[in-house]
Amino acid sequence: MSRLEAKKPSLCKSEPLTSERVRATLCVLKGILTSSYGPSGRLKQVHSGFGGCVCTTSQSSALLSNLPVTHPILKILTTSMQNHVSCFRDCGLFTAILCCNLIENVQRTGLTPTTVTKLNQHLLSLCTSYLKSESCGCRILVDFSSPQTLLCLVRSIVTSKPACMLTREERDHLSALILRAFLLTIPENTKDRLILGNSIIVPLKGQRVLDSSVLPGILIEMSEIQLMKILPIKKSEAFKVALFCASLSGDLSDTGEGTMVVTYGVSLENAVLEQLLSLGRQLVSDHVDLVVCQKVIHPSLKQFLSMHRVIAIDRVGVALMEPLSKVTATICSLLLCNRNDTAWDELKLTCQTALHVLQLTIKEPCVLLGGGCTETHLAAYIRHKTCNEPESILKDDGCTQTELQLSTEAFCSALESVAGSLEHDGGEVLTDMKYGHFWSAHAEAPSIVNWPDLLSRCGCGLYNSQEELHWSFLKSTRHPFVPQTYLPHEATGSADNLTLDCFTAKLSGLQVAVETANLILDLSYVIEDKN
Amino acid sequence: MVMACRVINKRRHMGLQQLSSFAGTGRTFLGPVKSSKFIIDEECHESVLISSTIRLLESLDLTSAVGQLLNEAVQAQNNTYKTGTSTLLFLVGAWSSAAEECLHLGVPISVIVSVMSEGLNSCIKEVVSLQVPIYNVFDHLDSTKTFSGLETFNISLCPFLQIPSDTGLQKEHDLNDVASPSLTTYSLSGIPVKSPKLFRRQTEVEADKNTLQNPQTLKNSLLASSHYRKSILIHSRHFNRTANNQWINKPDGFLEQHGAATPNTYRCNDLVELEMGLSHGDHNSMKLVDEAVRLQYQNASIQQGNCTMPFRFDISRIFTCCLPGVPETFSCVCPGFITVVSISNTTLIKELENQPVRVILIEGDLTENYRHLGFNKATNINTLLESMKIQQNSSEEVWTNYVLQVLIKFNVNLVLVQGNVSEHLIERCIHSKQLVIGSVNSTVMQAFAEASGAVQVTYITQVNENCVGNGIYVAFWRSIPSDVIDRINVITIVIKTEGINLVTVVLTSPVTAQMQTKEDRFWTCAYRLYHALREQKVFLGGGAVEFLCLSHLQILAGQSLSKRNHVCSGWLHNTSSWLASSLALYRPTVLNCLANGWHRYLSTLMYNTASCSSEFEASTFIQQHLQNARDSGSPSSYILNEYNKLNSGIFNPSISNKLEQIPSIYDIIIPKIEAWRRALDLVLLVLQTDSEIITGLGHTQLNSHETEGFLFL
Repeated sequence: MSRLEAKKPSLCKSEPLTSERVRATLCVLKGILTSSYGPSGRLKQVHSGFGGCVCTTSQSSALLSNLPVTHPILKILTTSMQNHVSCFRDCGLFTAILCCNLIENVQRTGLTPTTVTKLNQHLLSLCTSYLKSESCGCRILVDFSSPQTLLCLVRSIVTSKPACMLTREERDHLSALILRAFLLTIPENTKDRLILGNSIIVPLKGQRVLDSSVLPGILIEMSEIQLMKILPIKKSEAFKVALFCASLSGDLSDTGEGTMVVTYGVSLENAVLEQLLSLGRQLVSDHVDLVVCQKVIHPSLKQFLSMHRVIAIDRVGVALMEPLSKVTATICSLLLCNRNDTAWDELKLTCQTALHVLQLTIKEPCVLLGGGCTETHLAAYIRHKTCNEPESILKDDGCTQTELQLSTEAFCSALESVAGSLEHDGGEVLTDMKYGHFWSAHAEAPSIVNWPDLLSRCGCGLYNSQEELHWSFLKSTRHPFVPQTYLPHEATGSADNLTLDCFTAKLSGLQVAVETANLILDLSYVIEDKN
Repeated sequence: MVMACRVINKRRHMGLQQLSSFAGTGRTFLGPVKSSKFIIDEECHESVLISSTIRLLESLDLTSAVGQLLNEAVQAQNNTYKTGTSTLLFLVGAWSSAAEECLHLGVPISVIVSVMSEGLNSCIKEVVSLQVPIYNVFDHLDSTKTFSGLETFNISLCPFLQIPSDTGLQKEHDLNDVASPSLTTYSLSGIPVKSPKLFRRQTEVEADKNTLQNPQTLKNSLLASSHYRKSILIHSRHFNRTANNQWINKPDGFLEQHGAATPNTYRCNDLVELEMGLSHGDHNSMKLVDEAVRLQYQNASIQQGNCTMPFRFDISRIFTCCLPGVPETFSCVCPGFITVVSISNTTLIKELENQPVRVILIEGDLTENYRHLGFNKATNINTLLESMKIQQNSSEEVWTNYVLQVLIKFNVNLVLVQGNVSEHLIERCIHSKQLVIGSVNSTVMQAFAEASGAVQVTYITQVNENCVGNGIYVAFWRSIPSDVIDRINVITIVIKTEGINLVTVVLTSPVTAQMQTKEDRFWTCAYRLYHALREQKVFLGGGAVEFLCLSHLQILAGQSLSKRNHVCSGWLHNTSSWLASSLALYRPTVLNCLANGWHRYLSTLMYNTASCSSEFEASTFIQQHLQNARDSGSPSSYILNEYNKLNSGIFNPSISNKLEQIPSIYDIIIPKIEAWRRALDLVLLVLQTDSEIITGLGHTQLNSHETEGFLFL
């Protein structure tokens, strides 16, 4: 007997962003993200609360995938961040923090969502066209004739993950290793299209980070006993390999539902084993030298193969199957060591990010200045642009000058706040009035200070404080100025210790942040199905 | 699912405090004299006696996030080196307090992290000067000198008792000989043994008339750090199992230590001396290790003949057999595989004795239903009986008959099985003169495979003539008098074959509760020797390296004020941050806090070994030495000089009429340094953590008093 129950009405909330609870949870989320940002970011212990492993991390990919948020608005935010991270791997926290900042700042302006959305789009396109232009003052073209820029890029990524627990020496070693692993995936002879190979990360426990290394080819483990039997390998020509992804363990793969009835005296197991052995005979007659199986090989089949001098390796796992199937392509194994599990996991994520960023950089051969300098420089550029040339925006949209100013301020201070989030130890954050770069200083500095002595270098490391510069606190209001465009080539060529960011990932992060913020700001109703 | 998030370091750093309190429980395990603990389960009233960090952590509730990270770090150390866990646990505690102290003093977290990390690096570089190379210790092994030969003065469980000594030569570093009683350490037998520490209140050293050591001259020599290390692939079935068998080449590069006072060479080329130095007072265990190594060496010499492969101590071919209820004195080492079997096998063993038998080795279980790993049994298969023929035999019976047929066909009388064996089968086999032994260790299996030519198989159906091994001898093992062994109601047998590379260490203890401890202690000694021989070098032990670290950090802390930025540039990852320029300001504070950790380590060590009656006294004593070391201008030379004094031999007639050589004390290098690093890494990881994110936890699952401090998303 079925019972019919009346459906519950859906719940509809208007103006979701004005709700106190939403604001509070957004604030908590933002707090988690900003406190994790950058090389001195604080770590989070993520665990299930029921025992099991504890993940100590400050990376967006680990944090976001582990945050099962409930409110629809937060879901929009985290989902779109996760999409960004899954495509670009880098700049996840930047994107998420910028998005939160934008939502918060715009709400304070009191402008209507339509106006804000339009203006934000304009400001975004100003940003992207500047970043892509020749005149851009915070972009460096990658010189592939020397490893310096790429090495700086990798080192910046590794440095920004404190949970890897690396010393300076270890960080430098690992950065060089990642770059070498990447270079090994570039095929030597390419005709028209470049197809990059794979780097497989192999975990090694109990060794120091400095013992990590890169090997060309695929590393497969096998038992020592088995290895002793096959050594020394005398064969000079190439090995003939058979690769199985199906299980050769001899069980009945899928008998389906219901019951199978078998006549007494018939052994299904023996029948399957007989099939496996005939497969073995075939392999032997085909002169296969090496049988590799993703899953388990039946001990009897293994015994048969080894009697015929065929090497059988089983349980290699799904991760190695794809690289094994294209073993002729460029593949390398990165043997990665770290002292404890949680730091190893973080290091693995970091290596994957760095390798991916290098791939992105090959496609779009330029990098952005890091350490907060791109953000402050961009903010200075936008402020100057909207202040001096507001007509181009205003004539299209029919907005007032005030609306543009309010919106610009919200946008630019959102960018600057991201840079400011790099500071976690109560330091003072500043920007200079020439390059628009990001600087930090001791907060308890005496009131009359000699700034050049107190400051050392800007965030990206390109400029030092001994130049004739003027500084202003990032929080204070200041007159718009033209930040110096066209980065001189010699300035970037000589510096070997710059903090750099991935161009593609950051550009996409900027777009995703603005568009997600616009989407969330524009939400009028949340309708929940209560059934 | 709701995510909860808790800010864990608002005012006090909860994580660091948790670490300190966990670590505090293991304080008494530091050093050679370990006080045992009873752990009592309040619910089931069971209790265990433990005396090691690993066993302690097994019994503690470590379900909190920080507890789990601690457990993970200790387990990782133990899995890789089997030693150094007490050091790790203690330093975790000492350095969490140090980090907390820095926080109280207002040092930014990033600065604490950088300075502590680089400070420890600097220490690790500094202590290279206290390395002692090991040379050809197996060259003189044939000589009559053995560990047991000189081991007359200590057969007690707890060798370190303190009694006041009224005599003794005045030492220049004995700072307050009047104010506090001079202490020396005695074994139960009343003969003084050397306290395994460098700095003792009184050196009870005696003249060196014993010829067991080559006249030893001292020199500070240091070795270029070698990068040979054991590697283990995780997620691996194979690589985890046995230690890497690679033999380490002897390092040959020597470096003169700068400013060294004594221009002689400090080296170790005597196995007994090395073992004594590494025993850390546990002579009983080390004596067994010594015998095991000698047996392996003899076996290797016979096997090799004229081949001149260097001998390698293979720890994986040592097997322990524990016999609780048997007096202590029956512990011994024998070649081959010694194991305990049920009394019902007595007649069978008698029949098998004195004749070579054939063996097969089964990798899995030997039961009808066992299938290899990765085989999924289909559950929905019914067998249809065609006729009404009544099956007289169950399938188990059919299988057992088959196994017996195979054994008879191949004339096999011994089956070694890694897994379980069907009880029914064992019984049937006894009647047909076949001995089946289950739960055999995998290295034992491997040793028999090599020595007898048997090939390990998974199923009995795989057995063919090539898989069968020959020439195995089974006998009663009668080293323990039958009345003793009868009391514990088992029979011990020995299984061996010519040239088998397997040594069984029989461990006995009259007190069952101590059996585990006894076994743990044996392995600790065995692994110490193993690592030392692998690395081909050791540290001068007894607190020397820790003292040098302490002294070095204090000197570094003093320097930074004068040299400022120059010294510490590059100590911070992020050189453009203001923290880089403020580093000089905070650096001395952080280095001193880190040094305090070493200070606590040393004073606890001294207190635990009863060299001092209180930690305060120990602390004063260390202070005085620190002053001396500073005054000397070179702490490492100072330490080597102190060692020199110990070894040059000072006759002390009142303590003993016997003249004894006081051996050096050694520590293993890489496991020790890795324990330091792991400890600091854990502390810094927790220090940098500001919140705990709990996934999959609903509001309802938190008690109301727990929800305080949680934020929900």
